[in-house]
Amino acid sequence: MNTDIRFLQRLEDDLTEAAAREATLLEGSGSSSGSDDRSRRLPRRERHWGAIAAGLVAFLVLAGSIGFLTQRPGQQERATSGTFSEVGTAVGGSGAEVPAAQASTAPVPGTVTDARGDAFGPTSGGGAGAVQPQLAPPDASGVRHEAADTAAGAVNQSDLPATQQQDLSKIIRDGRISIVVPDGDFETSLTNVSRIATSLGGFVLTSTTQNQNTGTFTLRIPAKKFDVAMERLRAIGEVKADAVTGQDVTAEFIDQTARLQILLDRRDLLQSLQNEATTSQEILRLAGLIEQTQLEIEKTQGQLRYLKDQVAEATIKVELRERHAPQEEPEPTTEGPSLSRAIRLAWQGFLRVVGAVIVGLGYLVPIAAIGLAIWGIVTLVRRRRRAAS
Amino acid sequence: VPDRRTDTELLLASRDEPDAFTELYRRHAEDLLRYFARRTLDPETAAELTAETFAEAFASRQTYTDKGVNGVAWIYGIARHRLGRFFRHGRVDASARRRIGMPERELPPEDYERIEDLIDFAPIREALSEALETLSPDQRDAMKLRVIDELAYPEVADRLGCSEANARQRVSRGLRKVALMLQERGMQLTTEVEA
Repeated sequence: MNTDIRFLQRLEDDLTEAAAREATLLEGSGSSSGSDDRSRRLPRRERHWGAIAAGLVAFLVLAGSIGFLTQRPGQQERATSGTFSEVGTAVGGSGAEVPAAQASTAPVPGTVTDARGDAFGPTSGGGAGAVQPQLAPPDASGVRHEAADTAAGAVNQSDLPATQQQDLSKIIRDGRISIVVPDGDFETSLTNVSRIATSLGGFVLTSTTQNQNTGTFTLRIPAKKFDVAMERLRAIGEVKADAVTGQDVTAEFIDQTARLQILLDRRDLLQSLQNEATTSQEILRLAGLIEQTQLEIEKTQGQLRYLKDQVAEATIKVELRERHAPQEEPEPTTEGPSLSRAIRLAWQGFLRVVGAVIVGLGYLVPIAAIGLAIWGIVTLVRRRRRAAS
Repeated sequence: VPDRRTDTELLLASRDEPDAFTELYRRHAEDLLRYFARRTLDPETAAELTAETFAEAFASRQTYTDKGVNGVAWIYGIARHRLGRFFRHGRVDASARRRIGMPERELPPEDYERIEDLIDFAPIREALSEALETLSPDQRDAMKLRVIDELAYPEVADRLGCSEANARQRVSRGLRKVALMLQERGMQLTTEVEA
């Protein structure tokens, strides 16, 4: 090079050295790979944009995955069914809430007396005051035999042993299960379902079948065998959906029991009043009242019996279906409807993806903002330092 | 034996034969240095930019494709890009040199005058005298002596009562500042067009 600038001469030496280093590198990797490498490489600017685009796509995909993960319906369902069974066991097992419920609803002796006074007051005017003291003893004994089998706990909670206290919690349990069985197995599975019901002391309440491949059954199973029944039903085939709900009717049960007790008291009181009544007018009026009370007693007893039945026996709804049985009404297979359905499905899918990406961005954007802020500060500090030096 | 290949051929050949790039450098290094010197008015910056431009061209020679653009024009494209960055940031980084393992070199003292010789100060003398007013007194005095009175560095140093190296530095820094300022005002420093 014909220059007398020393810097350029040195630069030439540096470049020659760099070229020599590169040449040995090329030889080492072989000439063929060198040419491959060249064809694979994109121009720098395009690589730059490619990197940005790839980064953006990766960011959105990450956002979408996070969105899908957080929105996964399975998770939420599992969580709710979990709380269902938790509620069931918490109430049924420990009965921790039961005493509180009883405290508010169970009649303590004082309130019973008050109620009796009220019931009596309007019916038998001023003369009743003299009768009342005599009535108290037979009234107490009358209560005792009735309450014994309905809800002894309601009378006096503290006298009862712990095991009986647990039995006080009344829970109506409901189960729903949807089972898919292999094609041709419907008949056998149907027999299995009814066998499960009968073997556990229950029965098939209703049953409907269609085309010998789908059917719905309502089973009544003794409450104690409910979990066993659900377990055995799950084993029949592939479980598509299953739900267990528990309704705590303890408070209602205690309410009704207390009401019954008051009504019985009242009836006894009215009867004894009738026995001591002197005028026919009084006797007639008391008879009407007794009849009315008796009616209410029967109604309450009926409600209590219904509750007891519901608690004693759980209901399980079973849906049984062969794998390839048509689900409800089959879609028409003409071109038009299927195209619109495809568009609808595509739109749903699009919205789902966009929704997931938005949810994911909610997670990622703050993180990215923090990262960007840190990066900005670092660059600023570096620039300042460089400018200072 | 002189290499008879064209610039484009040399650039394409340098992919598999890195030595070919050195030939390209030999042909154009001084022109590029002048190109930078006339635009930055500063020998240090011009030298740095020349080194950085060739380093970057060497590092990315694989991406050059012959689309009818002369190989040298491609290198000047990189040069323009580097120059733009210098005017924006007021400094030259060494990223391309680092990438290919080239050292950063100081400008030897005797090169300052030689590079200044490449700059034709005549067309910019008027603009300079205005720009000079914005410099520090030290830099302004050094620049006046060197650029307007066209004194040699030993004389400049003599008049200022400082060392020669110090005088060079003052002139260099002053020139860089002026060049950046003129660029900011949109003033054209050179009128000629390169290859």
